[in-house]
Amino acid sequence: MTGLLNIVADPATFATVLRVMTPLLIAALGILISDRAGVFNLGMEGMMLTGALVGVLVSAWTGSAWLGLLAAVVAGGLMGALMAFAVNTLGANLIITGIALNLAASSGTTLGLFFATGDKGMSGALKSGVMPSIDLAVLGSIPVIGPFVSGHNVLTYGALLAVPLVSLMMARTAFGLRIRAVGVDPKAAATVGISVKLIQLKALILSGVLGGMAGAYLSMGYVSWFAQDMTAGRGFIAIAIEVMGMGTAWGTLAATVVIAIAETLAITMQTLGLPNELMQMIPYVVPIVILTIWTARGRAKRAALK
Amino acid sequence: MNRAFLAGLVRLAITLAVIGAVLLAVLIPFALPHEHPGTVIAAFLLGPLSSLRHLGNVAEYATPIAFTGLAATVVFRSGLFNLGIESGVFLGGLAATTAALLLLSFGPFTPFVAIVVGAVVGSISCIVPGELRLRWEAPEMVTSLVLNFAILYAGVFFLNYYLRDPAAGSLMSYRIPADAKLDRLLAGTRLNSGAIVALVACLAGGVWLYFTRSGLNLRIVGQGPVFASHLGLPSRRIIMQAQIVGGMIAGMAGAIQVLGLYPRFSWTQLPGLGWTGIIIAILARENPFYVVPAALFLGYLQVGGDFLARDIGIPSEVVGLITAAIMLAVTATAIFQHPAVLRLIRRIRQVEAAR
Repeated sequence: MTGLLNIVADPATFATVLRVMTPLLIAALGILISDRAGVFNLGMEGMMLTGALVGVLVSAWTGSAWLGLLAAVVAGGLMGALMAFAVNTLGANLIITGIALNLAASSGTTLGLFFATGDKGMSGALKSGVMPSIDLAVLGSIPVIGPFVSGHNVLTYGALLAVPLVSLMMARTAFGLRIRAVGVDPKAAATVGISVKLIQLKALILSGVLGGMAGAYLSMGYVSWFAQDMTAGRGFIAIAIEVMGMGTAWGTLAATVVIAIAETLAITMQTLGLPNELMQMIPYVVPIVILTIWTARGRAKRAALK
Repeated sequence: MNRAFLAGLVRLAITLAVIGAVLLAVLIPFALPHEHPGTVIAAFLLGPLSSLRHLGNVAEYATPIAFTGLAATVVFRSGLFNLGIESGVFLGGLAATTAALLLLSFGPFTPFVAIVVGAVVGSISCIVPGELRLRWEAPEMVTSLVLNFAILYAGVFFLNYYLRDPAAGSLMSYRIPADAKLDRLLAGTRLNSGAIVALVACLAGGVWLYFTRSGLNLRIVGQGPVFASHLGLPSRRIIMQAQIVGGMIAGMAGAIQVLGLYPRFSWTQLPGLGWTGIIIAILARENPFYVVPAALFLGYLQVGGDFLARDIGIPSEVVGLITAAIMLAVTATAIFQHPAVLRLIRRIRQVEAAR
């Protein structure tokens, strides 16, 4: 038990939580924006995977991790636009479009890696960049807290900053209001002159931008290479997180923290000798339990009102 | 001739035209940099048809995905978007392997017993999200999506601690006993008796859905629970039955895949056959009778992809791109509900009616 306490009080454990959180939080915020606009982004997994590959390739070609990030973000945004085109112009089913996008990204990134490096599995041969970590000069020197708050990846700070930004955008800007209006009732939104298709296009592009960023963090922060299907279901966990967060940015942050702690626990408990496969289940079981409890409570409340 | 049949032919013709167009649109950019672009396309399109053995490979690929396509069809027809099929395949394969390794031999019935065990255990993956939805309104798409991974890791744990052969180099089970394996049908391929079961299952599924009362009830419930409840149908029970049946078919897919193809159970990732099943259900317009041709078509693409990889050096993942594009095109209402198409179909019906 003291072993566990030591782990909890260790800044390294805190850093692991943040590392695990970063891609999930960015992706979940992306799903949130799409969800509120009524175009649930099931293709997040594929957008992350694409961002991860494009980031590695472009940073290797240009020698700049920042250009890699930019390219990853653009690629994600393009996939968001493609999704909007498929749904709103071609009239394809939203969920099926998401599944198709994931399939295309899984195959497409393998092909892309093969044509760029001759290898189908990993980008190890490429010298790709890594997003820098930031030392917060003043905060970092505070005795106890310092090691906890300073020295994390720039995208980790970006993800945390994105929570209030997304929250403000949804609640306080005209664009956020239009997104919510379109999500609640597209016909009513259209009658007051809002272009539903345009808002959904913008929301999906923004969602893809965040997806590309989440993917870039995976291959240029979490690790420093691209591997086939490296997202390993994180886009799906992000979906569960967004649903657990009940469509708000702060709720999404809270849900991300819960899942990230569960996953960090899983990682550290493996070092204590517990079977790692069972520990790996935790982050996938927790959302099922929480979602079920919440929907059950919601139903009980509605029943009480009747 | 039947009017509805003729109208259906119009849709079929458009579907085929769209698929052909998408196929070439994806393939040509990969073929152009090649010295002889024609040979690339010919290898892909004609390779799978070039010999009996390759046709056997097509059927071999089609077998598990016909099952998962049928499973997805049954589940979707209930109106739930339950994605548990994916882990149902994994669980079915694992359970069938366990049964084959641990249970006594039942002589010629050993594969049958193992497949039944696989089907029953595999159905858990669809039952849990279905039950959570029906009882507590938890969104089945999300819960099934993450449950897939929970089941995967639970299964890998079981494989590692109970079935693992320490003598094998990597994480895999003991050898599956010979009497549990399915009979091979065609020399040089892994085509096995599971293909016949798949064909029969799809035909039986079609008969059930379109020619029996319980199939009709399922279609009514899936179309609209409100209307169904006005008819006095027990919606909850019918929906749950569909999850159980769909999950069992997914489990069968995994069991037959492992017993038919592999010497040992060695899945440590989700096999992806469930996702392909969803694609097939969509291509088949959720009609069990069309699942067989849809599965054969995807099998044909896969063998074509193998030809590309082997003869041309283009990775077979091109098939994934083609399939994704076909998914979008085939569900595009902009094409299939285009005013011109609807007018044409209406005219055919009117002409027939006038006669």
